[in-house]
Amino acid sequence: MLTKQNYEQLGEAVYRTTLANGLKVVLVPKAGFHKTFAIMTTNYGSMDNEFVPRGQETAVRYPDGIAHFLEHKLFEKKDHDAFDLFGKFGASANAFTSFTQTSYLFATTSHLHENLDILLDFVQDPYFTPATVNKEKGIIGQEIQMYDDDPGWQGYFGMIGNLYPKEPLHIDIAGTVASIDQITADDLYAAYQTFYHPSNMSLVITGQLEPDETLAWITANQAKKTFAPVTPIQRIASPQAAPTEVIAQTTRHLAVTRPKVNIGIRGYDPAPTGTAALTYSVAVSLIFDLLFSDTSDHYLRLYDANVIDDSFGYDFQIQRGAHFGQLAGDTDHPEAFVSELKAILADAPAQVQAAEPQFDLVKREAIGRLIGAINSPEAIANQYSGPLFGETMLFDELTVLEQMQFSDLLPVAHAFFDQSVQTVATILPEELRNG
Amino acid sequence: MHLQIKDGVTLDLLPSKQFKTIGIKVDFVTPLKATAITARALLAQVLETSTADYPTQTALARQLSLMYGASFGITVLKVGTQHILRLTCSVVDEQYLTAYQDDQPLFERGMALLRSVLFAPLLPQGSFDPTTFTQQRQNLLTAIKSLDDDKQYLANRRLQELLFAGQPTQAMSALGDVTTLGALTATDVLGTYHEMLAHDAVHVAVIGDVTAERVQAALAQWPLTPRTVADQSPYYRWTPKSQVQVGDDLAPVVQAKLNLGYSLPIYRDDPDFMAAVVFNAVFGGTPLSLLFTNVREKASLAYYASSSYNPFTGTLSVQTGIQAQNQQRVETIVQEQLAALQAGQLEAQLLAEVKASLLNARLSALDSPQRLLNERLSAQLTHAGLSVAQWQTALAAVSVADVQRVAQRVHLQATYCLHGGVADAD
Repeated sequence: MLTKQNYEQLGEAVYRTTLANGLKVVLVPKAGFHKTFAIMTTNYGSMDNEFVPRGQETAVRYPDGIAHFLEHKLFEKKDHDAFDLFGKFGASANAFTSFTQTSYLFATTSHLHENLDILLDFVQDPYFTPATVNKEKGIIGQEIQMYDDDPGWQGYFGMIGNLYPKEPLHIDIAGTVASIDQITADDLYAAYQTFYHPSNMSLVITGQLEPDETLAWITANQAKKTFAPVTPIQRIASPQAAPTEVIAQTTRHLAVTRPKVNIGIRGYDPAPTGTAALTYSVAVSLIFDLLFSDTSDHYLRLYDANVIDDSFGYDFQIQRGAHFGQLAGDTDHPEAFVSELKAILADAPAQVQAAEPQFDLVKREAIGRLIGAINSPEAIANQYSGPLFGETMLFDELTVLEQMQFSDLLPVAHAFFDQSVQTVATILPEELRNG
Repeated sequence: MHLQIKDGVTLDLLPSKQFKTIGIKVDFVTPLKATAITARALLAQVLETSTADYPTQTALARQLSLMYGASFGITVLKVGTQHILRLTCSVVDEQYLTAYQDDQPLFERGMALLRSVLFAPLLPQGSFDPTTFTQQRQNLLTAIKSLDDDKQYLANRRLQELLFAGQPTQAMSALGDVTTLGALTATDVLGTYHEMLAHDAVHVAVIGDVTAERVQAALAQWPLTPRTVADQSPYYRWTPKSQVQVGDDLAPVVQAKLNLGYSLPIYRDDPDFMAAVVFNAVFGGTPLSLLFTNVREKASLAYYASSSYNPFTGTLSVQTGIQAQNQQRVETIVQEQLAALQAGQLEAQLLAEVKASLLNARLSALDSPQRLLNERLSAQLTHAGLSVAQWQTALAAVSVADVQRVAQRVHLQATYCLHGGVADAD
């Protein structure tokens, strides 16, 4: 039943199968570990706010924040809370929602079988009522307000909002106090029935486990339940902002001591899908390392000029239907921060070429960081790509990275940067509002 | 394995094949002095930037990249009466790299890098490089100021200042204060450096698939001299005030941050220490806790409501994020939970679940090289490291009466609220 893939150099192996109901199961035993980490994920996140509900024919636009709201409510049942069930065995449980996925997870050092049943059962047995839905609005309202006070989050979402003004990506994952107020129990059921079918979900378990025994537990649990036949999910394609509609820059004033700048770079090239997307992603990440990491010549120059400091960081991510890079930092010189970094971006392929002597360094660093991440059962499970990169694991990323040559980067640099569009989201201290 | 390398210098080796990395941690430990906290924080920042062999950040960063992304950092922390300057370095175990051909194993290179950082800093003309020094002083200044952008952090800082008014070593953050920082010179920090190298207790710890011979051989390359270390208690003992200190500040925040500070004079060496750990977990330290259940789940008054216990300073604190107009209600609910525990009202089931969750966390820590290394420090400071089995036995023995006895020693000392004022009301 389980297919085993060995990664001999790493001394690791991955066991996989797809159950009859469509649930993908991935098991990664870790010798010597005390903990087991399990994460069950549906391919449904904050971006998926307009779709044809299962069993219906017309598309419905749902209130912003519904995927995250559903995540919160799934724990609560008629006469108990799933948190408490995990609590009986001392396991720690949690959940999170991103743009494209919702995940439910636990970590435990004992009673794996019982905890797995709790996870599968609470995720696969929704219970929503008007009363419980209304009660949750207060808690999520507080969560939204907590993020309102987080300048880092505000800068990040300001940048995304500018890059994707029409796409649902720009909507805060938790929604707004006003939007979540509209959510009803019926909405949650519609979203649940559409996206929580096992065929749209995966279960990844890492750490202390025995693969065959673990699979037998999962199979036995699933055999007790009946599921609707698999039907295709119909998401309504989101509107796409044209390059000219990207908002070039915004400025907000918040309670910060220093200006914060987020530069976003939206790719308009057709990014690959499946495993090719992993290769593309690794290549663009290496390109960002070459241009902006602390091993680059630019870094020291800008650091010594007080344009950037230790708060400077960057990343690149591919989401379903979107890919973008980000450069962010606190700076006393926001204008110089923007002009200097934009100058590098404007000339990116040539800058990559000039940084060739550092390629071996950034590649070694990326390899070492990936191997270090394999210490963590959570990192292995969380990096399972799902459908985004063709079901690949951290170990596959390492293989891609090891094979990457400098000559692979230039075509990718052209593809990404030549058609990219940038934005700048600046957050200034309140004191600078009138000055 | 625990070794005394020389007077005042110890080595802990935690051999393990569980991890793909080898981790190194070095703690320089000295009694807290208000005048020295800031200088040590700046010293950490300067030492982390460059060395004589790697005279720019770029040179140092490139060396780390060359070593397959070795991680390296220096932090400062306060534990009770002690100030710690901590170096960490983690390298990949090269048996997991395809075709590693560099001439020295990565562990030895990591130790050599730390030696370079510690014993050969960048000192042109015998003083810290002026440009680096000025820049890092400025960076630390902005870092300290930027910490206040995190409003949960800020509310906690203000609470500590209220709790420990007139006790600067405790009121001050581990990074020090901006006034002292602005006046520090390169000569001051060089003095701090020599003082630290000569007199601090030094605790080295290594975890990974590496032999004692290799570790000792690498450590023998470090010119550490024997030092006399006073055996000072790490516990900060203080006299609670008879009146609750109350403070609040107006800030442009949407969500108010209400923090409460209590005295809980049960220290790490107290027979009731484990009971205090359980008390905190029951009161607000876990998602099963009374605070989480009653403030958040039942009353929907907060997104977060939790407590934390510091067994080195004898304090308990509560953190909540709420609507400002609910402050009184939240304070009442928090007080009711404490009163219930003081009256011995604790369900056996909750106690059992909290213990299971503490055990789960304890065993999970065995999977984190970082945590295994870091927890060597409290074993050093307290001369008492419980084995996992001893710890488990002590945990199992905690009763409702034990938790009640601990709860009765908890006394409110300070209340602080950071809020947006009238704009917050809706």
